[in-house]
Amino acid sequence: MRMTRTIPYLLGAAVAATFPLFTGAYLQQVAVSTLIYLTLAVSWDMLLRSGQLGFGTAGFFGLGSYAAVLLVLNVNAHPFLSIAFGGLVAGAVALLVGLAVLRLRGMYFAITTLALASIFAVVLRNFPRLTGGPEGKMLPTCIYAGDTTKIYWLVLAVAVLTIVISEVFERTRIHLALTSIRNDERVAKSSGVNVFRYLVFVFAVTSAIQGIAGGTYAHVFGFVSPEGSFSANFLLLPLAMALLGGIHSTWGPVVGGLVLGALSEYLKLQIPYGHLLVYGAIIVVVTLFLPQGVSRMFKTWVRRSSVTRGVQ
Amino acid sequence: MTAKGKAAVLKVWVLAVLVVVGAGFVVAAEEGPIKLGAVLPLADITGAQGSKAMQLAVAEINAAGGLLGRQVELIIIDDESKPEKGAAAIDLLATVHNVDVFIGGMSSGVHLGQLPALKKYEKVTVWIGAASSLVEQAVVGMDWYFHVHPWDYLQGASYVEGWAALQAEYPLIKIEKAFWAYEEGAFGTSSYNGSLVAFSNWENVGESFKSALLGGGDYRSVLRHAQEFDPDLFIWVGYAADALPIMEQAREIGFTPPLFVGSPPGWPADFGGSALANGVCAYGMWAPSIKNVSPVSEHFWDAYVAMFNEEPATYFAPLGYTNVYVVAEAIARAGTLEKEALITALEATSYVSPLGETLTFSPSNLIEHQGFSKQKILQWQNGAQQVLWPFEYATALPAYPFMGK
Amino acid sequence: MTLLRTVPQKRVALLLVSLGIVILMMLWKPYALIEGLQRGGLYALIALPMALILGIVGIINLAHGEFMMLGAYFAYWLGVYFGIDPLVAMIPALAAFAILGSMTYFVTIRRALKAPELNQLLLTFGLAMVGMEFANLMWTSQPLKPHLSYVYSSMALGKLRFGTYAFIYTAAAIVLLVLLLLFLRRTRLGRAALAVGQNPRGARLVGIDIQRTYLLIFGLSIALVGAIGAMFLTRHSVFPSAGSPFTMKSFCLIAMAGMGNLPGVVWGGFALGVAEALVLSFRGYGGWADVVFFAVLVAVIMGRSYRRQTA
Repeated sequence: MRMTRTIPYLLGAAVAATFPLFTGAYLQQVAVSTLIYLTLAVSWDMLLRSGQLGFGTAGFFGLGSYAAVLLVLNVNAHPFLSIAFGGLVAGAVALLVGLAVLRLRGMYFAITTLALASIFAVVLRNFPRLTGGPEGKMLPTCIYAGDTTKIYWLVLAVAVLTIVISEVFERTRIHLALTSIRNDERVAKSSGVNVFRYLVFVFAVTSAIQGIAGGTYAHVFGFVSPEGSFSANFLLLPLAMALLGGIHSTWGPVVGGLVLGALSEYLKLQIPYGHLLVYGAIIVVVTLFLPQGVSRMFKTWVRRSSVTRGVQ
Repeated sequence: MTAKGKAAVLKVWVLAVLVVVGAGFVVAAEEGPIKLGAVLPLADITGAQGSKAMQLAVAEINAAGGLLGRQVELIIIDDESKPEKGAAAIDLLATVHNVDVFIGGMSSGVHLGQLPALKKYEKVTVWIGAASSLVEQAVVGMDWYFHVHPWDYLQGASYVEGWAALQAEYPLIKIEKAFWAYEEGAFGTSSYNGSLVAFSNWENVGESFKSALLGGGDYRSVLRHAQEFDPDLFIWVGYAADALPIMEQAREIGFTPPLFVGSPPGWPADFGGSALANGVCAYGMWAPSIKNVSPVSEHFWDAYVAMFNEEPATYFAPLGYTNVYVVAEAIARAGTLEKEALITALEATSYVSPLGETLTFSPSNLIEHQGFSKQKILQWQNGAQQVLWPFEYATALPAYPFMGK
Repeated sequence: MTLLRTVPQKRVALLLVSLGIVILMMLWKPYALIEGLQRGGLYALIALPMALILGIVGIINLAHGEFMMLGAYFAYWLGVYFGIDPLVAMIPALAAFAILGSMTYFVTIRRALKAPELNQLLLTFGLAMVGMEFANLMWTSQPLKPHLSYVYSSMALGKLRFGTYAFIYTAAAIVLLVLLLLFLRRTRLGRAALAVGQNPRGARLVGIDIQRTYLLIFGLSIALVGAIGAMFLTRHSVFPSAGSPFTMKSFCLIAMAGMGNLPGVVWGGFALGVAEALVLSFRGYGGWADVVFFAVLVAVIMGRSYRRQTA
């Protein structure tokens, strides 16, 4: 049973690793943006597992983008270093902010993180000398000169790193702590979980991941701007991916990300005018008929079919 | 339905989806037609009408026998106003469809994200969007890149020339002080910054506002500041959604500068029908009334209306039409799709466009192949946009001052 | 989670502070006060139906702004085909959007209520997308607006000259608040809805039909926001994404007021409107108005959380 369970993961890893060997630049480019959104989806879910609904994803993404680009422009740092710096800045800001806002719960936390994201964008817009103002800043050269295969590897590495961190969180006592906080904070507290410290830790880590994703995105497309880098897309699409795939797990957001990433591109080619209508309708239908998310539906389906085949 | 039956149905459904998705990605590459690959934001009226105008141009060319004895195929991909989608569209057109030339374009933000992909293929590109001078900095030295739309600073310089000409021609018009209300995003700010350099002999004051497009829509504090400054010329740089509310709120606070100018990329439907529209000046590359003085424009208008049963409402419609024709004529001149020959042929472009001007390519500040450099000064008169300047396309005399003050 | 808070002393204090601010502003920046109350009224007006849904049905309706946008289109086309003024079109909009809201509830929301938490968020996100793209396909992204001369009516008081029409939003917000409070406190249906909002399980035990209550509240809220869309159209252009910024603004206001605090939504709307107008009144600092909006929001939320913790 253990063997059969690992097969899908191995298969997935094999496909992900060899993807550039049998695809061209176009599919790689689609994969690159899908993987970036997927990374955001997983990181958003990681915080959600503690019961905290974060709406700051786009904010930390944008912060990471700006930090990475500005480091390159001002001290000519290596791209990798600047991406890490993007993560560091986002993580550090999240740590500081988290100390204050993680006392909030539910929609109050959600709206405060959303507000902070907007504040980041407006503040950056209002310092044109450093940040280029509303027009933003451009990198002199893009990472790997736009070579999609290499970019794919880079983005895949970021996504895999995120998945690994998420799995570590799922398999260590962090998981127990976060789940207990989500289920009943008072019980968690009385059983000795330092709720606040855990929340700050997870918030900082997930924000750092979002910052890294932002830094990577900025290097792939070569520019930052308040409208582009802090776009609501970087909040709403990952959120939809995680919810559609199934929340409170690593693989839900991953599956949701892959499905929505492929679906949006496919629909666009099939229905040039009006594909977003179909996309929205599919989200509605999936929510209604697969309330547990696509990944759990898939699991149930696999389990059921193995039952009918009498394997188990 | 039993659980088993349900599972079976689900399985079939999932498989069907996988097959369909897979089939969609495998687009067979054929030899035959000359392929133009266009990327536009199809959900926006600029991209929607621009792409239709391109289809019109291609249909006309094919009806006239095509190019080099081959048919022309136009492949339009939506960029969804997202840089990553725009970049993927370039890769799709280059590697799967194997297009010969890239055309299209609207937003600078999307285009910046597409440039890494474009630089990878170095195919001939004739772009009608992206006015930001940031883009110009990014395409320096790319001899295969042709930019049709005037850069932001060119637009500013063009208006300097236009107002100077208008003041010289009509001594009643006098401009010494100008107030600029610009939307706070990249579009408004780059227009304002571009213009400030150009209008250095005026006394300029600028202030940003939040466009209704992004949830704003209250302009009264900016209008009051303008009123206090008492400018000879008031100009707002925003979007179509701002047009009527700005006029209404200016009237509400009693602000009537001698020249009231709007510079949105498109106007709302039926702006001219408003009682407040009369005498409002507009910046733009095109107005429907140009069809009265330009046969090409008239032909474009009639053909577009006949084909799509709607009127062109944005200058991206004639611009998209121009885009296809410029490339087509260059291919015909070159007699081949070979890159160097095509570049040389494009450099020799002299296309009488439905925008009024004849399009040629010449160097701008940083790049070799810049197309249009001039804008037009228009004015809303009795419900329609009339051209005031350049005088060779003028369709009406200026009404001055605004509101007959 | 109480939908109505009745703390008389607090209310008196709040009223006095508000009055003080109003007088101060009247002397210092009268335009900021007038225009702030007008724009704040619009914010509050749009947020009220969303607060109702959140307080009683318990879902964050991400399609809130889209319903308003559709309401504005509805009013626009009634104007084009039948020559009806948008303010009159509010009445048919109320009816049409009651039906649309009830249908939306029946076909979608009802099925998602038992689903895991947050599924409704995804559902309404999908609905928002469908609504926006539907509008885009039907009417393109080109903005539409009727020409109404009364919207720029103004009056002069001494040296002041200001627009009077936009006070309609201020007045409508207060009237809607009063009506909703009367409905929730004085009518059987309203009290039942309030009970459902506070404790659905308990409400079921005392024999309240939860499904019917949810349907009623959802239908009512959508009807209201549809009619508000018609009122919005008088001073604003309508285009497919016209509503979405107001979803966020409304959500912010509701969070600032505190869950289920309807009067707080209206006060908060006025406060934020005036704060924004005040920033805008300084030439060259308009770009910071958003920061003020969000900073006030965060400060209020944080302040309340700390007060609760120390109390």
